[in-house]
Amino acid sequence: MSTETSELTTQTPDSGSSKNRERAEWLQENRVRVTVLAVLIFVFVVALLGLDRDDWFSTIMQGLSVGALTFLVVSGLSLIFGLMDVFNLAHGEFFMLGAYLGWTAYTRADTLIDVAIPMLLLGAPFALMPLWRRIAAMVTLAGRARKTSAIGAIVVGALTAFFTITRFPLVIWDAENFAMTPTNMTVQIDLGTLAPLPAESFSGPAIVAILGVLLGGALIAFGFSVLRKPGMESGAIDMKRLATFGGLIVAALVLHLIKEPVNEWIFGLSTTWRFFLSMGVSVVLVAALGALVEVVLIRPLYDRPIYQLMITLGIGFILIELVREVWGRPEFTMARPAAFAGTGEGCPGQGLGGFFSGCSTVEVFGGRLRVYNEGFVVLVGIVVLVGVMLLLKRTRLGMVIRAGVEHPEMVEALGINVRRVFTMVFALGSGLAALGGVLAAPSIGLSSGMGAVFLLGSIVALAVGGLTSFPGAAVGALVVGLLQQIIIRYGQVGIPIPFVEEPFKPSPTVVPAASIVVMVIILLVLPTGLLGRSEK
Amino acid sequence: MTSTTLDQSAGLGDWLRRRRGLLASFALLVAFPFVISIIVDGQGLAAVVNNDLGNARFLQGLAIEVFILGIYAISYDLILGVTGILSFGHAMFFAVGAYGFGILLKTFELAWPVAVLVVVIAAIIQAFLFALVLPRVHGITYALVTLGFASVFWIVIQSSDLADYAGAEIGLQGVESPAWFLDTTNERFIFYLLCLGIFFGIYVLYQRIVDSPAGRVFVAIRENEDRALMLGYNTFWFKTLVLVIASITAALAGMIHTMHQPIVTPNVAGLFWTVTALLVILIGGMGTITGALIGAAVYRLLEYYLDRWFGGASGLLIGAAYVLLVLYVPFGIVGTWRARAVRIKQGRDRLLRLFTGGDDGRTPARE
Repeated sequence: MSTETSELTTQTPDSGSSKNRERAEWLQENRVRVTVLAVLIFVFVVALLGLDRDDWFSTIMQGLSVGALTFLVVSGLSLIFGLMDVFNLAHGEFFMLGAYLGWTAYTRADTLIDVAIPMLLLGAPFALMPLWRRIAAMVTLAGRARKTSAIGAIVVGALTAFFTITRFPLVIWDAENFAMTPTNMTVQIDLGTLAPLPAESFSGPAIVAILGVLLGGALIAFGFSVLRKPGMESGAIDMKRLATFGGLIVAALVLHLIKEPVNEWIFGLSTTWRFFLSMGVSVVLVAALGALVEVVLIRPLYDRPIYQLMITLGIGFILIELVREVWGRPEFTMARPAAFAGTGEGCPGQGLGGFFSGCSTVEVFGGRLRVYNEGFVVLVGIVVLVGVMLLLKRTRLGMVIRAGVEHPEMVEALGINVRRVFTMVFALGSGLAALGGVLAAPSIGLSSGMGAVFLLGSIVALAVGGLTSFPGAAVGALVVGLLQQIIIRYGQVGIPIPFVEEPFKPSPTVVPAASIVVMVIILLVLPTGLLGRSEK
Repeated sequence: MTSTTLDQSAGLGDWLRRRRGLLASFALLVAFPFVISIIVDGQGLAAVVNNDLGNARFLQGLAIEVFILGIYAISYDLILGVTGILSFGHAMFFAVGAYGFGILLKTFELAWPVAVLVVVIAAIIQAFLFALVLPRVHGITYALVTLGFASVFWIVIQSSDLADYAGAEIGLQGVESPAWFLDTTNERFIFYLLCLGIFFGIYVLYQRIVDSPAGRVFVAIRENEDRALMLGYNTFWFKTLVLVIASITAALAGMIHTMHQPIVTPNVAGLFWTVTALLVILIGGMGTITGALIGAAVYRLLEYYLDRWFGGASGLLIGAAYVLLVLYVPFGIVGTWRARAVRIKQGRDRLLRLFTGGDDGRTPARE
C-alpha cells in the first residue's frame, strides 16, 4: 500500500512553476482517488494499531499470502477483460481445475500418463485439419443436409472415441473404496509409502482401441471442417503437419511402452521436485484448455458480449460437475512438499533466516508463520507480478497486448493478428490461475467450491483496482488479502463497539462480506476503481 | 400473441378470443391432476380433492415448483430481457421473500397478511437499494455491484451469527403454514390452484405491463438509453419502476417457495440461483415474457428427469445443454418460434392440405 502512494505523490518533483501547476492539475483531477487511497491506508493503520504488536508481522504476511493467491487469479481475469472485454466467470474454476490437476500430477502421476496416451491419439487427427478441409470441400450437399451430415459425423466420432477410450488401461483412485480415496493417498504420500499402482492392460485387442480413437478423432475433425464456412483459407498439407500427426502417435505409443519405468522414476523423486513438476504440468494443461475454450466456445461470440458472459458461466458449471464426477465430492488436501515440511530438531526456525532452514514454521518478530503459506506463496506471487510486468513492458507481445487494451481496432488495422494474441492471453491467464490453484492446494486444500470463493475475492480485487488496469489488479488483490486477514484476526479479538458491553466478534464466514462491502463503497465513489481510467 | 394488442376497441369478448390459447392452457392445467389421477393412478376424481398420495399429488408438487420458478424467472426477464439492466443479484430478490416471510411467520409469529405486507415493503426498499447505484455504475460494473449485494446477503444469511433466525448453512426450517389454503401438505390441490392462479395472473399482468406505454419505454431503454433520455424520458425512474415490480414479483415467488418447501436453503440466495433464472429465460427466449414460463417448465422437468435417469452425471449434461443453447439457440424456444413463425405456419398449412386433399379454403401464411 505505502509504496503505491509514494510512487503517486513523487511522480512530479517540486521544481519550477509549470511543474507545480501540473502537479496541482493532477491533484485536482485525481482528488477523489487520492482521498480514497488515503482513507484506505488510514483504516489499515488504525486497524493494525488496534491489534497486539506481536501480531502485526504475521497478520501482514498472512494478508500477503491470501493476496498472492488472489492476485494469481485476478491477473488473468484482468488481462482477459482488458484485452478482449470478456469477463471470464469460469476463471475461478480454472483455478480449481489447476489445483486438482496439480494434485493428480503430484500424487497419482501414473493416472495422468494413462490418460495422456488416448488424449494424444485423439488429438493427432486434428493436426491434419487441411486434409479434412480438402475432403470437406469435395462434399457437395445442400445447406441443411451438409450441416446434418457434419453433426452426424461429430456425434458418431465422439461416440466411437468415448467407447474406445474406455478400453484403454487406466489406474485411478476410487472414492468408494477407502484405501483408494484421494484423502488416503495424500496421507500415504506424506508418509512416503505411496507407490505406483500395478499397471492395467487393454480390455480387448489394443490395436482396435488405438485405431478406434484415431478414427473417432478423424471423424470429429472432419465434421468440424465441414461445418466451417466455405471460402475460408485452408492451408497446405506440409511436412510440418504430417510430422506433428506422426509425432503425436509415436509419442503416445512410446509413452505406453515406457510408462512403467517413467512411473518408477517419478515416484522415486523427492516430493519437492514432484511439486515443481506438478506445477508445470498443471499450468501447461490448463493453459491448453484455456486456449481451446477461447477458440472453440468464446471466439464465435465476440459480437454478442452478454452471451459470452453466459457461456463462461456454463463452462464453470461444467468444470465443477466434472471435478465432482472424477475426483469425488469430499474435500481433501495435497501433502506439503518435503522442503517446507521439516519438523523436529532446530524447528521452528528463528528470524528471517529461518525461512530457509527447511522447517515448516518460523518465528519472526514474535509471531509464528508457516514457511510454505507465508513464504513460498508470497514469493511466487511477487515473481509472477514482476514477470508479467516485464512481459507487458519489455516484449513485443506485451506491447501488442497494451495496445490492444487501448484500441483493438487500430491494432488489427496495423496488420497484427489480434485473434492469435487473444488466444495467447487467454491461455496465459488460465495458466496463471492454475498456478494459483496448485499453490493453494497444500495450504487450503481442494474442494469443488474453492473456485467460487476465489472468484468472488478476485472480482472484488478487480473492481477495487480498476477493471482494465493490471497494476490495479495487484493493488486490489493486496487490499482484499490484508482486509480479510485483519478481519479474521479481529474476529478472534473482538471489535469494541461504543455503548455495548460485549465486543462484536464476526464469525469467519462473514469475512468475505466485509471485502464486498468495501468493493461496493469504492465502486460507488470511484466507478473506475483505484487505478482504472475513466471511459471516455 | 402481443402484437395485436394495439387496437383499443377490445371488449371482454374480444379479449377472451385473443387469449384463447392462454385460457385453454389454464383449463388444461386445472384438469391436469384429475386426468393423471384417473389415467396413471387409476383413482377417481375424489382422490385429487381428498389429497391422496399418488402420482397426481406428486406431479402437482412438481408443477408448483415450475410455477415458482416461472414467476421468479419472469421477473428476471423484465429486468434483463425487456429493460436490459444487467443485474447479477436477482437471487437476493427471491431470497428476501423466502427468508423474510419464513422468519416473520416463525420467529415473530405475525399474521400472514401482515407478513406479506412487510415482505412487500422490504422488497420495495431493496429495489430502491438496487436503483440507488444505477446512476453511478453501468454495464458490467453494475453487474459486479449487484453481485456484491447478493453475495453479502448470501454470506450473512448463512453465517452462524444469524443461526437462530435463518438456520445457518442448513437453512430455514419448521415454518408452519399460516392458513388452510397455504398448506401444501394437507391441501395440495387447493395450494396448486392458488399457485396456478397467481402464475397466470402474473403472466397476464406482465404482458399488460410490457404492452403499456411505460413498457414501451422499458424496451426503448434496452435498445438505446441515450435516445430515450433525449426524447424526454427520465430513464432512472423507469428503471427504478422495473426493479420495484421485479422485486415484488420475485419476493412473491420466494414466499410461495417458503410455503411449498420444508426447508429454505441458502442456495436460493447464491449466484447459482441467479444463473438458474438466466438459464430459464435463455431456454425460453430472452425478453419474450412467455419464454420465461415455457423455459421454467422445460428447465425443471429436464432437471428432474435427467437426475432420475443419469444420477450424478445430470449436472454435466445440463451444463453441456446450456453451452449448446448459448451457442446455437441464442433466442430460445419462443424467440426462435417467433422468428420462424411464418415458415412454421406455411409448413402446417401444407401438411393440412396434404391430409384434406387440395385447398381447404384458407389463405396460407397471412403474417
